[in-house]
Amino acid sequence: MQICSSCQKNPSTIVLMDLDGGSVSSQQHLCSPCAEKLGVVQPKTPLKLSADLLEDLLGSVQQKASQKRREPGCPGCGMTTQQFKNTGRLGCPRCYESFRDDLVPLLQRVHESSQHRGRLPGQLQAAPPPMLRASAPMEELVTLRKQLDDAVRGERYEEAASLRDALRRAEQRDAGGDAGENS
Amino acid sequence: MSKKRRGEPPEFRAGEWLKGDGPQNDIAICTRVRLARNLQGFRFSPRLEADEAKQLTEYVVQRLAAPGLPDELAVVDLPLLEEIERTVLVERHLISREQATSKKARSVAINAEESVALMVNEEDHLRLQVFQSGLSTEAAWKHAEQVDEALMQRLPLAYSEEFGFLTSCPTNTGTGMRLSVMLHLPGLVWAEEIEKATNTAQKIHLAVRGLYGEGSKALGDFYQVSNQVTLGRTEQQLQSDVQLAVSRVVQWEREVRDALLRGSARPRTLDRVHRALGTLERAQILSSEEALGCLSALRFGVHHGVVDGFDVAAINKALLLSQPAHLQRFTKERLEPEERDQRRAKLLREILGCEP
Repeated sequence: MQICSSCQKNPSTIVLMDLDGGSVSSQQHLCSPCAEKLGVVQPKTPLKLSADLLEDLLGSVQQKASQKRREPGCPGCGMTTQQFKNTGRLGCPRCYESFRDDLVPLLQRVHESSQHRGRLPGQLQAAPPPMLRASAPMEELVTLRKQLDDAVRGERYEEAASLRDALRRAEQRDAGGDAGENS
Repeated sequence: MSKKRRGEPPEFRAGEWLKGDGPQNDIAICTRVRLARNLQGFRFSPRLEADEAKQLTEYVVQRLAAPGLPDELAVVDLPLLEEIERTVLVERHLISREQATSKKARSVAINAEESVALMVNEEDHLRLQVFQSGLSTEAAWKHAEQVDEALMQRLPLAYSEEFGFLTSCPTNTGTGMRLSVMLHLPGLVWAEEIEKATNTAQKIHLAVRGLYGEGSKALGDFYQVSNQVTLGRTEQQLQSDVQLAVSRVVQWEREVRDALLRGSARPRTLDRVHRALGTLERAQILSSEEALGCLSALRFGVHHGVVDGFDVAAINKALLLSQPAHLQRFTKERLEPEERDQRRAKLLREILGCEP
């Protein structure tokens, strides 16, 4: 095995040949670090899959993805329309408004009606509990994501950066918190 | 609310559903109202994380402690119970199988008569059940309404003007009410008309299920008939729908029974009853399915004077205690299935007074 002609230590992995009129005029054996140092090869960096890059790469998929982002699901629990359609179950009381368009025909099929005629708590209703805030983090995440999305779309990058930081903080606060879409 | 019944087994009274009184009790065992309710501010139960489930359960239990509930309820913290105790509650219809086997924080609050059971963190945050012996849809609904109002005053329930009470599954939305009547229909089964009755009920939006609800088998000729629709009709309308339809089924069962006890059908019917009694008196090994079948025939025979010297209350007790968890709980023995079937045969002889 050839030793790198530059550092004289590492085994060479690259052969640099100068061609002159179809024949090799000179030949140099280099190891990877030396080849990089000499600017002979591009340093190997892990490919960063930024969202922007992906969007550039995947034309049609990108369209779907941004549609999905425009539809962040139920602000109460993060459930998506697709999840509702797959399971036929709702995630939280607010889903009834979030998925109203799909829900009304379903209720019509099951009950032959979509209008309640029975009793309601009305005046009897108890005050909301202190932990009504229980759903706040979830809601905050969904709202922040939506704002971030809008900011990026509107190319307001400074605003987007601060929203991104706020989103990160909110996600950390929601300890171990799954932001909702998969929970 | 009184003291917590932590880990303490329920007593072996028959409970409201097997009390054996109330209108039409020879055929209609028990009427049950189930109301599905959810709280604002929480995701529905199936989507709650473990800590949220705990928070919800504790909050509800704490709010139930406020004075003025129409019934005094004892709270049972289900994860603290042994599996067999939870199965006992299932066999008594006080909790569902799903609630018995769930891994999350959950409770049930039960009154001493076992006519009210409030499941906390089942498929919905709250599942209220109210039982009334016999065919008594109106009384059952009135009682349920009272407890429901007490819940409304204590807990912020999720509802909308448009959709009514909001539930985890859209099939319960609106009133959240499932009104069911447990019926003993040996006549329709023996005359092979049960399928016709079931189909007729389904045509008018009633569901017919087995003894233990959805997907369960109709053991011992016991069936549950309930409303399927929960939205678009008032509770009173649903109640009178079920009352009317069930009354017709009861009437049908009566006519069939009369026919079975007349003319050429009579000997075969008497034979069925006496064979069942013979099995109960003599069999050494009885599965719970066979036991329920025999007890069903005996119950029929006692109501129609085919056999005498048996108390319907004893038969009801036997129906309950022949269930696997009750049997083991009652005999205070943990038994393998084969031993269980021997023990069951012996226990039934004792209850029915066939053994000295």
